[in-house]
Amino acid sequence: MSTIPRVSSAVPGEPPHFGSVLAHQPAIAASFFALYGRFWQSEVLSARIKEVARMRNARVTECGFCRNVRFDKALGQGLGEEVVDDITDGYETSAKLTDAEKAVLKFTDALIHDPELLTGDARAALQRHLTPAQIAELGLGVTLFLALAKALITMGLEPEQMDRTVLPTPAVLEAAA
Amino acid sequence: MSAVCAALAADPVLARHYADFRGETEAALDPALVALVREAVAAVHGMGAAPDESGLDEGTRTALAYARRMPFEHTAITDPQAAAVVAHLGEAGFVAFSVLAALADAECRAALVDLPGLAASG
Repeated sequence: MSTIPRVSSAVPGEPPHFGSVLAHQPAIAASFFALYGRFWQSEVLSARIKEVARMRNARVTECGFCRNVRFDKALGQGLGEEVVDDITDGYETSAKLTDAEKAVLKFTDALIHDPELLTGDARAALQRHLTPAQIAELGLGVTLFLALAKALITMGLEPEQMDRTVLPTPAVLEAAA
Repeated sequence: MSAVCAALAADPVLARHYADFRGETEAALDPALVALVREAVAAVHGMGAAPDESGLDEGTRTALAYARRMPFEHTAITDPQAAAVVAHLGEAGFVAFSVLAALADAECRAALVDLPGLAASG
């Protein structure tokens, strides 16, 4: 996995990072940030649940950037590091993750890794804990987390080193509303 | 319609934003290349036949080889492989291509877990 950017920044004075590289394609960037802001702003599914799925994706796809970023809204909903530490293999036995979060993690693993993991029981658990609207939103989120982590990695935008960084949760820009 | 769009049928706002993002990504590339990438990635997932590459130029075949690694080998793509795609598509094209290939992979996976079915029944 390369940590040398494979594409330059399109923003003068800025180093290559996801935003500055995506700026090579302004229409893609604008539509993505509008979508991502809307997704995180929606309260159909809690930010904590979304972040649980995002953290799992970060670990499975080996996205160092994703793994070290935390969104503040999920932190405010109690997703501290002691819980994040349990979003690893063996999460099924965690005493800190809720049953709903474990069902979400199983779905996440099935989507990003192996669809066979979504057994009848796992499917039933997901549908017991989440409404159809919440499952749709979760599916959108995991799809975006996976795709963007892979795009970031393949464009060589993995940081060589990165401290844990708390960022404001993505929001809808006025122009994109 | 992609599995994600189908699952979002009850949320027209998110569905529209997702369709916009998907559409802008595809619009940045040649439609024939978009179709080839989607076919190639789907074939890796066992969701259809691989595209016929016999009449394609070397640059397009190189790009498809890159796309085919996205589902299971994304961390193994090398700098020279990526550089070859940049040489073929340019930097802006490479960015759109990388997003498209990754999105195509994720959409196949969403279909494989039957996301629309999960989101339709409670």
